[in-house]
Amino acid sequence: MRRRKRYEAILNTALCFCALIILIPVFMVIINSFKDQTEAAEMNLKLPTTWHVFENYKVMVREGGILRGFFNSTVITVICVLLLIILCSTMAFVLERRKTFFSKLINMTVIFGLVLPLQIIPTYFVCNFLHLTHEIAAVFVLIVANMSFTVFLYSGFIKSIPIEIDESAWIDGASHTQLFFQIIYPLLQPVTVTAVIINFMAVWNDFGISIYFLNSARNYTLPLTVYNFFGNHNSDWQLVFANVVLSTLPVAIVYLILQRHIISGMTSGAVKG
Amino acid sequence: MHSTTLKRYSYTLAIPGLLLYILFFIIPAMGGLALSFVKILGFNLSTARFGGLQNYVDVFTQPNMRRAIGNSFIFALITTIFKMGIGLSLAVALNRKMALTNALRTIFFLPAVINTVAVGLIFSSLLHPSNGLVNGFLRTVGLGALAQSWLVDTNLAIFSVCAIEIWKWSGFTMVILLSGMQTIGREYYEAAEIDGADGFTKFKYITFPLLLPAFNNALILSIIGGLKVFDLIQATTQGGPGSATEVFGTLIYKSFGAGRLGEGCAASIILAVVIAAIALPAYKYIANREVEM
Repeated sequence: MRRRKRYEAILNTALCFCALIILIPVFMVIINSFKDQTEAAEMNLKLPTTWHVFENYKVMVREGGILRGFFNSTVITVICVLLLIILCSTMAFVLERRKTFFSKLINMTVIFGLVLPLQIIPTYFVCNFLHLTHEIAAVFVLIVANMSFTVFLYSGFIKSIPIEIDESAWIDGASHTQLFFQIIYPLLQPVTVTAVIINFMAVWNDFGISIYFLNSARNYTLPLTVYNFFGNHNSDWQLVFANVVLSTLPVAIVYLILQRHIISGMTSGAVKG
Repeated sequence: MHSTTLKRYSYTLAIPGLLLYILFFIIPAMGGLALSFVKILGFNLSTARFGGLQNYVDVFTQPNMRRAIGNSFIFALITTIFKMGIGLSLAVALNRKMALTNALRTIFFLPAVINTVAVGLIFSSLLHPSNGLVNGFLRTVGLGALAQSWLVDTNLAIFSVCAIEIWKWSGFTMVILLSGMQTIGREYYEAAEIDGADGFTKFKYITFPLLLPAFNNALILSIIGGLKVFDLIQATTQGGPGSATEVFGTLIYKSFGAGRLGEGCAASIILAVVIAAIALPAYKYIANREVEM
């Protein structure tokens, strides 16, 4: 028993040490965003000798395009998540229930997108050919990039809904849209919550796709404002750190409030298998 | 009967989604294959002419392209080994009731929700050669000799980038494995304890085999994610110094920026083939070894 206690103590110390590896960088960024230029360039963990909280953040909001970025991120994320929920739940429902050779083939093709990377250059060609504006192109491509996974998530859940429910609704005279939107869609709520979380995180934090499509300060999302601000001000570390804090803050707050849902949501697709 | 089913689940509902998928995934995938055999200048289709395998030859013969292919594999391999190892250790350590569990889980998962550009900048500062916290720490504890130009040294940069990826995603792997462990019934352990099994034996014969489904998924996710990596490298080194951290993702972005679109498509197709070739057999192989519950 005593050996067990000692073992527990060692384990807990090791775990707390690991937690410090995560927390120290976070603390370093926050504390240095309050310093002046010379002190921040030293990038240490000391408290600032003079606190520059408001100056740094005011400069950042004024010059870093943070508010614009926040607005763009919000609009793009809301549109993408809403469309993903509607488009993918309907797709998964039809493809899962139809059970014809052709529908199975389509389903497989959609699931294939889980593994295959998006062909970004030809996608750019298509958007160019359709004369889409950069913002609309980004929305469409972000939707398609997250579509396979969302359909996969919905398919798994729809399988567990008994088909008798559909049959009785159909006999009662529901049309196929009524059947889906009034009977099936409400039953999908748990998986919709998961899908919202996963897609919110993926779209809000996206950088790899938006860097191709969003190319002016007017349409930058938050990660792009950070990226481009650093490109122009890489000696003003206090501002760069303030920028990192401001761009991470919204998602960090959401995370701390909804942590349980976010952790299980983001990992749920990988756990079920 | 069958025709009612087809009417009940009419394609009309699915058409908007399918249309988007065809337009922005299927057509580009096929178009990418076609473009990879074409020499083209910018986005002007009238300059296109058939180039045969020229783009592929270019991808394989230019030195920084070969470097990119090698780096993608190194990155996928190293990050997968460490993410799985650290994730599994943390999951085993946290898979018990104690006051700290929840707080630690929240902390370990935190990097997964921070956007990659922010993480890249945080580490650009931490790994700064003269002022960075990592070198500062090494000098303070008397290991100044180990201080390195982490992201600037051409031999070291790729490993430094791997370390950042491991920092960001180990907690995510941990949560996947932890949820897998929590589905394993207590009765297995109780039976083993009656038979006198010690901690390691229990892990080897109960936890690990029953954890395999979750483990496989985390493994495949990590390999694919590693091969596809782009944003982290773009946010920290942009493939540099020189071509020290060049990977498929940065290569495609650079050929896009330079208007060498055929080459970019060829690199993209090679990446897709590599991913399919690794992910599918790996998944099948491991899936066959799973224990039936």
